[in-house]
Amino acid sequence: MKKISLPIAAAAMAVLFSITPAAAGKDNDTLVFATKTDLENLDAYYNNARVGIILARHIWDNLLYRDPEDFSYKPALATSYEWIDDLTLEFKLREGVTFHNGASFSADDVVYTLNFVSSPDSKVVSRRNVDWIKNVEKIDDYTVRINLSKPFPAALDFVAGPLPIYPHAYYAEVGPEGMNRNPVGTGPYKVVAMEQAKSVKLEKNEDYYKDSPKGQPKIGKLEMRTIPDDNTAVAELMTGGVDWIWRVNADQAEMLGQTPNLDVVGGETMRVGFMSMDAAGRSGVKAVQDLKVRQAIAMAVNRQGIVDNLMPKGGRVIHAACYPKQFGCTDDVTKYTYDPEKAKALLAEAGYPDGFEVTIDAYRDRDLAEAIIGDLRAVGIKADLSYNKYSAARDRVRNGQVTLNFSTWGSYSINDVSAITSNFFRQGPEDLARDADVAALLEKGDTSVDPEKRKAFYADALKKISSNAYWLPMFTYSYLYAFNKDLDFQPSADEIPRFFMASWK
Amino acid sequence: MSDTVENHLQTAPDEIAAVPVARLSPKQQLIARMRGHFGFKVGLIVLVTFTLVAILAPWIAPHDPYAQDLANRLVQPVWSEKGSWAHILGTDSLGRDYLSRLIYGAQISLVIGFSAMLISGLIGTVMGITAGYFGGRVDMVISFIILNRLSMPVVLVALAVVSLFGSSLIIVILVLGFLLWDRFAVVLRSATMQVRAIEYVAAAEVLGSPVRKILFRDILPNVSNHLLVVASIEMAHAILLEASLSFLGLGVQPPLPSWGLMVSEARPFMFFMPWLITIPGTAIFIVVLAINLLGDGLRDVTAPEGRN
Amino acid sequence: MLKYTVKRLGLALIVMLTVSIISFTLVRASGDIAIAVAGEGATDADIEAIRQQFGFDRPLVVQYFDWAGDVLTGDLGDSLFYREPVVQLLVERMPVTMTLGILSLGFAMLLAIPLGVLAAVFPNSIIDRICLGIAVLGQATPSFWFALLMILMFGVIWPVFPISGTDSWRHFIMPIIVLGYYVIPAIMRITRAGMIEVLESDYIRTAKAKGLNTHAVLFKHALRNAIIPVVSLLAVQLGFMLGGSVVVETIFSINGVGHLALLSIERSDFPMIQGIVLTLAILYILLTLFADILNGWLDPRIRIS
Repeated sequence: MKKISLPIAAAAMAVLFSITPAAAGKDNDTLVFATKTDLENLDAYYNNARVGIILARHIWDNLLYRDPEDFSYKPALATSYEWIDDLTLEFKLREGVTFHNGASFSADDVVYTLNFVSSPDSKVVSRRNVDWIKNVEKIDDYTVRINLSKPFPAALDFVAGPLPIYPHAYYAEVGPEGMNRNPVGTGPYKVVAMEQAKSVKLEKNEDYYKDSPKGQPKIGKLEMRTIPDDNTAVAELMTGGVDWIWRVNADQAEMLGQTPNLDVVGGETMRVGFMSMDAAGRSGVKAVQDLKVRQAIAMAVNRQGIVDNLMPKGGRVIHAACYPKQFGCTDDVTKYTYDPEKAKALLAEAGYPDGFEVTIDAYRDRDLAEAIIGDLRAVGIKADLSYNKYSAARDRVRNGQVTLNFSTWGSYSINDVSAITSNFFRQGPEDLARDADVAALLEKGDTSVDPEKRKAFYADALKKISSNAYWLPMFTYSYLYAFNKDLDFQPSADEIPRFFMASWK
Repeated sequence: MSDTVENHLQTAPDEIAAVPVARLSPKQQLIARMRGHFGFKVGLIVLVTFTLVAILAPWIAPHDPYAQDLANRLVQPVWSEKGSWAHILGTDSLGRDYLSRLIYGAQISLVIGFSAMLISGLIGTVMGITAGYFGGRVDMVISFIILNRLSMPVVLVALAVVSLFGSSLIIVILVLGFLLWDRFAVVLRSATMQVRAIEYVAAAEVLGSPVRKILFRDILPNVSNHLLVVASIEMAHAILLEASLSFLGLGVQPPLPSWGLMVSEARPFMFFMPWLITIPGTAIFIVVLAINLLGDGLRDVTAPEGRN
Repeated sequence: MLKYTVKRLGLALIVMLTVSIISFTLVRASGDIAIAVAGEGATDADIEAIRQQFGFDRPLVVQYFDWAGDVLTGDLGDSLFYREPVVQLLVERMPVTMTLGILSLGFAMLLAIPLGVLAAVFPNSIIDRICLGIAVLGQATPSFWFALLMILMFGVIWPVFPISGTDSWRHFIMPIIVLGYYVIPAIMRITRAGMIEVLESDYIRTAKAKGLNTHAVLFKHALRNAIIPVVSLLAVQLGFMLGGSVVVETIFSINGVGHLALLSIERSDFPMIQGIVLTLAILYILLTLFADILNGWLDPRIRIS
């Protein structure tokens, strides 16, 4: 076949030799960025995709803004906040902000948006983002109060995260479908065109409010292109069809970095990789119920080797079941260092001198999972891989079919241990350890308001998790970004690229 | 059954000439024709070589295909400046010897191709011969089943089933086996119809031979040339489909060295280390080519009138 | 002819019914649909809410009749992922896939028919052997691999074609070549076989004997008759290609039904998968039906038999 396609293509080339310039790049003041997945709904409350979060930060504003560097809360649509008591949070709102459609921002918008999404009838995708809100009251035109349904220490992180504010009259009229087709917000960029699963085009909001913690947008146009295939996206980047890609494979990034027109930068994110182990024995593999076997597994896996050789620079090995910078996280736990000989000895002590057979589940990073399998084989544990899409993998976990689960967790970018450790160890459906003591400690931590007490509870829980080797916390993920050399872009730890802060050099 | 479908499956992608079934020629004549047929010889030699490689893999593979060595990852093949004879085709991203994985990969492709072909061949042959011999209502029912099977897009159904039931070597074989029987059924149905019309079969019927005997003794030997040709097409088809499924991440699972999986795993390197996708891709290409050549050759040799 | 058509239509309807049952049962044979719909980080309450919202808690048979009843009124349900009607999504995505399929078929015909004719006119010549070689090589090249090599060659190393998307006709060039090449061997062989048969038939011999020149014989008489089997082949191939566009659409970022199907499988978007399988099945049945009727019209011998 190649015999024939080559001359044909060559002939066609003679005709088509002039290539239309791609609409990307500095010359067009258009930043084209590629994302892998498409979005079911642009309305931020009706998708739970990473690209949805990214777009939401550009189209809308929140009451507060979390600084990507130090994670402090800065005034955004609210100029100040105050805890009236454990269950009441009051905000003073900013005056003089307008939405993209010209409506001016006031307490009504906050009240309508948050009351709408927190009511069970709204059927938002993630109930946990809103179920801590009982209701929202308007005190005056520029003051609102959020009444909480339960003590919720992480509330501010949610206010600054997955809770953008919509224009009340417009949203009441068009609802989530209308918001998807034609999104309206106060944010630094406004949507000018969108084609589902293909592209979303945005333009700078010239009337963006002056004191925004996001700063003023500098690049004229943004275009998000959905390119499902990573390598196609790389090819587009190399040939100037797109300006920015992320989550680049480490080896590829190294090679891309050597191309003259591209920059590659890396940055640690809040995402951690871990392997949970079926200590409760629901999957029927007896060996893993034995603490010595779990410790042997922990020592058999060469986490440092994986971080050094297979992962982008900037990630590191972790020992506790949380992201090190998260509130409540501590590194003061039992550490298992790579020691295959000791692992073999522990296996022998536990009565498995010749190892055993086991299945590892994974839903992403097939190469890392393969490396883990290789390490386990080296100490005699014959592991094979069950690689499934996220939903199927999660289904297996929930049904108790999983013995070893290599997985990752991004904590929804919430900077609090309650978004990770509590998610996996409070005897929920994804808790493989099912340790009642750990669960009780975490529950106390999640519902106390005093920060010091919370830290103490979490520290105890994390120590128990590590000494029992329920989890093998593995590493933090560093993401690699590759982009056009003309672009000035800074990555951030919360996995949310901020193009409103980017500019052309 | 739809004429269009029947017409299509009988002829494409490999035109199986609907020639009148020739009585098997004397053996020597057949062997002579095989010897004289270039494509047949090449296909046979390549396929035998690959099969030997697959069987002898544990003895000829220079390294353990699963042994990873992160310090020696992405070693270049011997023909490049940085290559060495220690790893003739270099190593992959986990430092596993590429040649050894390629050799073990032959096992997977051939096992899948052969087993899927056997399953589908069994299903399709039983259906086709039954429909062709009994005709009437039986034929109607079987034709209806075939039409149903044909109207379902193979790739989509295979993907869906594998993603629902998890993917493993066995599941891939079963899915392909149960999807690829249509051509067997269609071709053998009409071949059987033709054979049945031949006088001595009719004579056997009149003489009261048991049906089983007629099917096995009179019909099957006379349609076996069609059977072999379709078998070669479907074996090649199964190997290509397995590679596609594995490529899409829904086929054979790591660390098994399937060629489709190897292409898939090598993709991040395609722009800078193109040999990593070229080598396993070429392996698929060669083995499928050999099987197709063999099939074409079989058709020409057993039914020389098919090709003027 | 009318009776023939009606009979075929009836058969088509029964096949559609069977396919609908098969596709419905197939997608429900897996685990808990509600978990799949809820996605990453959903709580048990989220999942329970979804289960009730979509009616997954009802018996399977009830769910099927509910679905089948809706299908008859042209309602394939809502996509679990997009929360939009499946029909609307199909209407949005089908045109680009059809365009790709038809253009690929056109590309394949453009190459395959002349080659097939040449091979038939000069049987066993060098041309014939080259054509056979092309056919054999084409069938042995995995399409995903071919697509990658195309991107590598003509997208990156020698950047002459756009790599991904559907913004202009030039974006379609590489996908068309990749999708079309697989059909070339089939069309070429069938053209060749048809031509040879026709060229040896009595009336062509008569025409030649009457002194008509070779070109006229070839194109006016022989080709027209040889093309009949090609027509039916094309209809069937178009149906197959829509299924085969999964890989091509995914690699070249084409926003069509093939890629949507793969995503829907990955996302366990059951109404969407059912809708796509059913649509492709119907399309296949209609195309073969159409080809049968067309053949009957082109070639009266079929009608009589």
